[in-house]
Amino acid sequence: MEEIRNKIRTYRTESKLTQEELAEKVGVTRQTIIAIEKGGYAPSLALAFKIAAAFKRPLEEVFTYYKHKR
Amino acid sequence: MNAKQFKIARTLTMLVVTFVVALAVSIQNLYLALAGVAIGMLFMYLVRRQYKVITTDERINYIGGLAGRTSYGVTTLVLAILSMFLIVTGSQDGDIYAESLGVTMSFIVLFSIAVYSLAFAYYNKRHGGD
Repeated sequence: MEEIRNKIRTYRTESKLTQEELAEKVGVTRQTIIAIEKGGYAPSLALAFKIAAAFKRPLEEVFTYYKHKR
Repeated sequence: MNAKQFKIARTLTMLVVTFVVALAVSIQNLYLALAGVAIGMLFMYLVRRQYKVITTDERINYIGGLAGRTSYGVTTLVLAILSMFLIVTGSQDGDIYAESLGVTMSFIVLFSIAVYSLAFAYYNKRHGGD
């Protein structure tokens, strides 16, 4: 099973950004930010780059790819 | 305009359009129904222009794609089964209307499959497929 984990909530709290503000910054709805934070939706590469750029961090620091062994 | 005002405007517009269309149907006035829908669409267009917050993004489009594929699959399957049933029972009972309806519905199913296949081929080619 594949999974993309992220540290958006951590970095968002560090940057003192609300979900609404981050959503506006990267051009998506607040629901999308909530879904990504919860791991319910894997963002596109372009959106992942935008989110990482909003925190001024490299992509691999914000998003991590996991593959579980069965 | 904020999200709350937008939601109120959208709900009110839907209610007014529903009322006008229901009234138009009850008095059998086609022009009133068309005018009601057209004015509702125009009003919603103007409201949407005032609303600055993003309402559509890649997740919404992704969900739309999934919902569209599901509804296409379910509708096509149900119509195909129904049309087969109508053709078989219509020919057994000698009911020409049921049989004709079944044949018409099966053509609609075929048309729907053809449109889906063409759209799929077009988007596949546009997005780098062979």
